[in-house]
Amino acid sequence: MTAREPGELECGSRHCITCGDDGVPMTVLKVDHARELALCAEQSGARSTVELALVAPVARGDRLLVHAGTAIAALTEAGT
Amino acid sequence: MRFVDEYRDPDLGRALAGEILSLVEPGRHYKLMEVCGGHTHSIYKYGVDDLLPGNVELVHGPGCPVCVIPMGRVDDGIALAHEPGVIFTCFGDMMRVPGSDGSLLDAKARGADIRMVYSPLDALRIAKQNPDREVVFFAIGFETTAPSTALTLKRARAERVENFSCMCSHVTIVPPLRALLESPDLRLDGFIGPGHVSTVVGARPFEFIPADYGKPVVIAGFEPLDILQAVAMILAQLSQDRCEVENQYKRVVPYEGNLRALEVMAEVFELRPHFEWRGLGFISHSGLRLSEAYADLDAERRFGVPGVRVADPKACQCGEVLKGVIKPWECKVFGTACTPERPIGTCMVSSEGACAAYYNFGRFAREREVV
Repeated sequence: MTAREPGELECGSRHCITCGDDGVPMTVLKVDHARELALCAEQSGARSTVELALVAPVARGDRLLVHAGTAIAALTEAGT
Repeated sequence: MRFVDEYRDPDLGRALAGEILSLVEPGRHYKLMEVCGGHTHSIYKYGVDDLLPGNVELVHGPGCPVCVIPMGRVDDGIALAHEPGVIFTCFGDMMRVPGSDGSLLDAKARGADIRMVYSPLDALRIAKQNPDREVVFFAIGFETTAPSTALTLKRARAERVENFSCMCSHVTIVPPLRALLESPDLRLDGFIGPGHVSTVVGARPFEFIPADYGKPVVIAGFEPLDILQAVAMILAQLSQDRCEVENQYKRVVPYEGNLRALEVMAEVFELRPHFEWRGLGFISHSGLRLSEAYADLDAERRFGVPGVRVADPKACQCGEVLKGVIKPWECKVFGTACTPERPIGTCMVSSEGACAAYYNFGRFAREREVV
């Protein structure tokens, strides 16, 4: 199972990670291009493996919106 | 923190509250539905409703994926979890949803091998680590989570993980909205559209709401200023006699959605003729199942499930809460027999559920008012 910071495991914190339908902004740390997976980190530092198929190509340092382990959008400055 | 702090600025919040006040027509009562449970959670957590004028009422919609799962579906999951050799995996919130004879957590206590996962990928990993066991993933959620399940099933197929299957309970957002709009119980003036669902499906699927029902829709983000701005945008439409789909959440939501996600969903899923929603009953073409091409990964076909329909407990009024007909605190068992620790209804389980969100945050403000 993906490692998480203990403090992030509670509902009522900024993100309830026990509900798969919650979007979490994450930063890409390392990309496995062959498998379309990336190691990503939340703001708290908690890391997990993220599916990239819907947003590829991505690079180290990119910010992604992650739902249930899958990045569904790239977060960019445009439109903010 | 970028993308967060700037959307919680108190001065901007006060300015938006002032703008909202200037847009409301005295003597008119506005009912706006926030479709998504994530919005409900933010509204109560940040006290957004406290900043709104008294005649602007936020009504909580059916957009919490845990809350809309009917009891019979939980029973089906528990039946699968008791199959010999099965490891049953699901999101954490789903484990606490009551079925007719306890929850998945209760079944785990009775010996079933049920494990909490954060993503379908975690479930696939468990399958690879346990090649002599059958691993079932209980897939729930709207179009935000469905692509994740679809990609994992494609990965299972590509990596030949044959002991992995999926009990698909994914739902789609448009059919229940149409059902709500057709409901005689409810008069709404506009919708705060679901931000992350729209990241996948785009804004176009909501165009029927202004076109067919004459109600404005503003797709919004989840920070307090996002929600306040969406309320202001809806009120501006109403005051200017406009009626359209607007996108407040442009920093994340493209108008056309995520085409790759839509393609993968179309490949892996197909619409069920009917799907039962808690409190809303059967809604046509509102649920997803695995397509014929992925039938061999469908846990319901691999094992068979009882598929028995179970009526909701009589005391529970989740249905009325999900339809926005009553407020959480108006339910007979709210905060007494039904609490987040011992939920009777689904709305008290998930943090995105209106009852749990209100119980955790909003009730204190209400208690202050009573005093």
